[in-house]
Amino acid sequence: MTQTTLSEFQRAEDSSRMRSPWLQIVRRIVKNKFALVGILVIFLIVFVALFANVLAPYGYDAQNLDAKEQPPSSAHWLGTDALGRDMLSRLIFGARSAVFVVLLVTTVNLVLGVPLGAIAGYYGGWVDALIMRIVEILFAFPGLLFVFMIAATVKPVILGWARANGLADLARSGYLDYAVVIIALGFVGWGGLARFVRDQVMAVKVRDFVLGAFAVGVPTWKVIYRHILPNALAPIIVLLSAGMGFIALSEGYLSYLGIGLQPPNPSWGNMMAENAGRYWRTFPQSIWLVWVPALILTSIVLAFAFLGDALNEALNPEISD
Amino acid sequence: MVAIVVRRLLWLPVVLFFVSVITFLLGFYAPGDPVQVLLGVHATPDTIERLRHEYGFDKPIFIDPDAFGLAARELSQGKLPLNAIQQFFDTQYFRYIANALHGNFGYSLVKYRDQPVGELIAERLPITLQLNFIALVIGVSLGLPLGILTGLKRNTRFDFTVRTFTLVSISISLLALLPILTFIFSRRQDIFGIQAGPILPMVGGRLSTISGTDFNDCFGGLAPTLIGWGVQPENIPDTRIICLNQLPKLVLPILIESLGYIAIMTRQMRASLIEVLGQDYVRTARAKGLRERSVLVRHAMRNALLPIATILGLSLGGLVEGSFLVESWFGIPGVGALAVDALYAREYYIIVALVLIIAVAYVVALLALDLIRPFLDPRLRQVE
Amino acid sequence: MSNSQGNNRWLVGIVAILVVALCGVILLGAAALVILTQPGNTPPTQNTPGVSTNSSAPARTPVPTRSSATNSSGKKVLRLPGGSGGGGDPPTLDPALAGDAESAVYVAEIFSGLVTLDPNLKVVPDIASSYDVSDDRMTYTFHLRKEVKFQDGRPVTAQDFKYSFERAANPATLSPTADTYLGDIVGVKDKLNRKAADIKGIQVVDDYTLKITIDQPKAYFLAKMTFPAAYVVDKNNVERGGRTWTDKPNGTGPFKLQEYARSQRLILVKNDNYYLDPKPQVDEVDFILGGGSPMTLYENGNLDSTRIGIADIERVQDITSPLNKELYVGPELSTQFIVFNTHKPPFDDPLVRQAFALSIDRQKIVDVVFQKMPLVANTILPPGMPGYTEPSGKPEFDTTKAKQLLSQSKYAGKMPDITWTTVGAGGAAANDIQAMTAMVKDSLGINISIQQTDWATFIGQLNDPSRNPYQIFDIGWIGDYADPQNFMEILFRTGSTQNWAAYSNPAVDKLLDQAGVEKDPTTRFKLYQQAEQTILSDYPVIPLTYTRQYWLTKPYIQGMIYPPMIIPRLRYVSISK
Repeated sequence: MTQTTLSEFQRAEDSSRMRSPWLQIVRRIVKNKFALVGILVIFLIVFVALFANVLAPYGYDAQNLDAKEQPPSSAHWLGTDALGRDMLSRLIFGARSAVFVVLLVTTVNLVLGVPLGAIAGYYGGWVDALIMRIVEILFAFPGLLFVFMIAATVKPVILGWARANGLADLARSGYLDYAVVIIALGFVGWGGLARFVRDQVMAVKVRDFVLGAFAVGVPTWKVIYRHILPNALAPIIVLLSAGMGFIALSEGYLSYLGIGLQPPNPSWGNMMAENAGRYWRTFPQSIWLVWVPALILTSIVLAFAFLGDALNEALNPEISD
Repeated sequence: MVAIVVRRLLWLPVVLFFVSVITFLLGFYAPGDPVQVLLGVHATPDTIERLRHEYGFDKPIFIDPDAFGLAARELSQGKLPLNAIQQFFDTQYFRYIANALHGNFGYSLVKYRDQPVGELIAERLPITLQLNFIALVIGVSLGLPLGILTGLKRNTRFDFTVRTFTLVSISISLLALLPILTFIFSRRQDIFGIQAGPILPMVGGRLSTISGTDFNDCFGGLAPTLIGWGVQPENIPDTRIICLNQLPKLVLPILIESLGYIAIMTRQMRASLIEVLGQDYVRTARAKGLRERSVLVRHAMRNALLPIATILGLSLGGLVEGSFLVESWFGIPGVGALAVDALYAREYYIIVALVLIIAVAYVVALLALDLIRPFLDPRLRQVE
Repeated sequence: MSNSQGNNRWLVGIVAILVVALCGVILLGAAALVILTQPGNTPPTQNTPGVSTNSSAPARTPVPTRSSATNSSGKKVLRLPGGSGGGGDPPTLDPALAGDAESAVYVAEIFSGLVTLDPNLKVVPDIASSYDVSDDRMTYTFHLRKEVKFQDGRPVTAQDFKYSFERAANPATLSPTADTYLGDIVGVKDKLNRKAADIKGIQVVDDYTLKITIDQPKAYFLAKMTFPAAYVVDKNNVERGGRTWTDKPNGTGPFKLQEYARSQRLILVKNDNYYLDPKPQVDEVDFILGGGSPMTLYENGNLDSTRIGIADIERVQDITSPLNKELYVGPELSTQFIVFNTHKPPFDDPLVRQAFALSIDRQKIVDVVFQKMPLVANTILPPGMPGYTEPSGKPEFDTTKAKQLLSQSKYAGKMPDITWTTVGAGGAAANDIQAMTAMVKDSLGINISIQQTDWATFIGQLNDPSRNPYQIFDIGWIGDYADPQNFMEILFRTGSTQNWAAYSNPAVDKLLDQAGVEKDPTTRFKLYQQAEQTILSDYPVIPLTYTRQYWLTKPYIQGMIYPPMIIPRLRYVSISK
């Protein structure tokens, strides 16, 4: 009889261990209502972005000068803009730009920032000093303006390179603008992330379990990867989630400065920038011209933020009630 | 300790070197130059060439490779290649450095002709600094307590409300927020035929003190007091302090700038407090029966404040950066507006000077941060 | 417990101090605000001569802010937005350096020259009461008024003019305008290029007589003399002031500079020594330089006049709006063009260019995109420019003919990629471009991609037409002086550096050269009109709009004029309140 109970017990144990920690994290997230809404919003946007061509009733640059700045109607659910283009379609295509830019910029930030920050935090010494000095140099440039400088400089270089290598079509298509914006934003953003990671790593690496892992003889990279990073992960994720929202907002400011995505490519930032000045002087129109893209952008940013918070709580089991 | 400070400070010239080199590089490769912007479309290439030559823009940027030829000639004549060395360094970059070491950071070419860059920045920097500083103070003094409160009252309605509000405040693009706030507050409204003046006046006209005589404009009531202390207002130097009676004009910009700080402080404080409260030692303290207040203050707070210190440090370094959008929207003569205008006009001297100042600010701030950190986190002491 | 008591208390202490300090600062600040903004605390005006340690503050009396046109001491104050209405800083106040509108607005009021323009853009005498022209029309003798004084009281003589011209032509002055505006004078170009130390063509005959010789009998020379580069400056003022002498300028114009707080405000006061009639009628002009939207300031009552942009025009054009009664429209001497680079395919084929021109409905663009603010353009010369011909009909728009022309062109079916380059910031700048490219797409089926670039990059590429990489772009040209030569020859003569279309037509060149030296004005204008017609039929450019300026001015302001060029105008303004 002890045998069966033991095996039952063991099976129960096994099964609970096999119920991987990831699942538990997912469970915790699902419990958080805000995070759910956030995930929903993000999925919705990604879905719209992927199927923009199918969902949009009009092309994003189908102009109709006779129907400019119309209020919402049955033909145009969200009204038209200053050139008579359907706002709903432009918003839908704008989702594509937003997703694309945010994803790629975050990736660049991650790829540059996390490893460099981890290395700096872990090894300390001159490695740390070097990387941190580079980050300081990066910080020396005023944020948005640095992006501007890079964009102004990088764009003709890329244009020239593209033309010289027979990629002139690519140069014209607007992807070039994406590349410029992504490079510029990505290059500027990784510094903060690296610094943060470095701090977290430095704080974590002296914790007992890490010292214990070393004592037991676990190789360095494994220690970093398996023990240090996951514990440093939570604040990084909080930072990233806020970062994504900021990237989306920055794209808008870049358009306002004139170095964002080119017209007629729609982006929410573009659309807001076009009408930012006119906003309150033409009050009714501005609701769908400025506020709808603004609100959608805001909800994305909020969605990322809530998701980040939820992930933070989910990944730190100690702090859940 | 001193050794660390000295070592870090020795990095400063290195950082400044790289920063200036990168800026010069970017300026070199960005198409368009200030002479062309100055002359506009109505210029002839002759004029452009002439002015570029007078300004020295036709000199090489960093080094002059032609100097090698001169050196060869001089050596073959048995002379020391002194002229060649001089020519080698007679480039835009080194001339700039030489001048800068004398305090001459160049002159504006396009937007404020012949005004020394140093003076242009000195006029605007105090305004931006004051603006940012006030916003930061508001951010910290509102954000930290809110963060603590929401951290303690997790998942209550209060928590959700505060978090949502702070998040929303930074999620709305300024391009939408600025117009609506100015629409509501800065315009004379027409309410049922009655003209109601703007709630907050627009920024326009005198904003800050220029010199002692304007002190009376701004702080007139204080003048008698100062005279009583033996200080003549005329002798007060150029201070660029924002006049107190102009502060109502700045309420909106400061508020908007502080939103970011409030949000970050609240979120970070909350997050670190929650994390810290989940730690073993807190549980131990509670298990031991300590009063909650004691647990909080003695155990939780110090550790929760660590990431805040980092953020504060970075924010202090960032005080010298002006927000271009806010400043240009409200017409505030600050550094941010100057920076973007300078970029559009390819005013290299202004850009380099600004960038150098920001670099210094960050290096100093980060250094201070790293010095203070061992005090706050004893675990790091053994690492340093 | 690993935390020692001492450290805790230390930290708590610091936090406590910070909190107390913060509360204290807030309380102090609030108290100060309350005390200092009590009415009756504004100090008595002080007459302190310039004690300031830096050079940006000339001697003046501190002026409290006002919110009505006459302040408490009964002075008449005109409040304007900075510069040409946009509210920005003037790049310079030095006449030899002023090449742009923002600077010229102030320079034209603080300084003056031999001749000036009247509100109808006719050249009229200023400091020179009269002038004689030699028979070969290459020597001008100016007779100066004897009563003209600098603002500090010193009389103006011909030597002062010689000094000013020499200074403007001095390469070390770095004047961007000397080549264009003084370059016709014999010897100026030599001095600029360091080939001569003096200007040969300027002679001081006696204290009040000045002789200027030009290199060719150019009819537009006098018009150029109205420009700031030809203004007179005070030698002592310039040399004593050094590089920042314009902080305390001693000019001859109707107004004196009292204060310039960069990016905040600029104050002019009337010059009691002014010599022309009408003398300035307001005591002071305040230009508000910072502060965001001038339109809002105007509506709040802080400004007496403001320029309106396209963002507000709809509101103001509404007849029922009270603002509509305060609206004034004035011409600008400027034409916006769509330019084809005739060296780059497919625009080397005139049929393609014409097809494009016919497929764009310019009237619609003006009506819809520009809200009818500018006038639609059909000619090169804008209205107000002597020699302007009123077009006979609406601009051509014929998509059928356009398609036909395109099919006949050598690029039919093998159209290369086309990029339209434009200057943009804030997105909205390209709205008209987007509309036009859509029109071309609809009519001709050609896809044009738009490339927005910033101004510095744009003109960087344009300043060398032989290497201009743009295929099609849009740009405006503002008249430098009221003579058709400024548009026709500079924009379209073979080899001219502003001939961005790279247009070359020997017949046109001949007409332009003839007109340049033709004595009889009527014949001159006929020649220019002929040239204009020939050029337009080749379609190197499509004239798009003539820009106009829209202003709002309060009803209690009289005499405000809105000339197409920057001329001294503030002395005509009076306030009745």
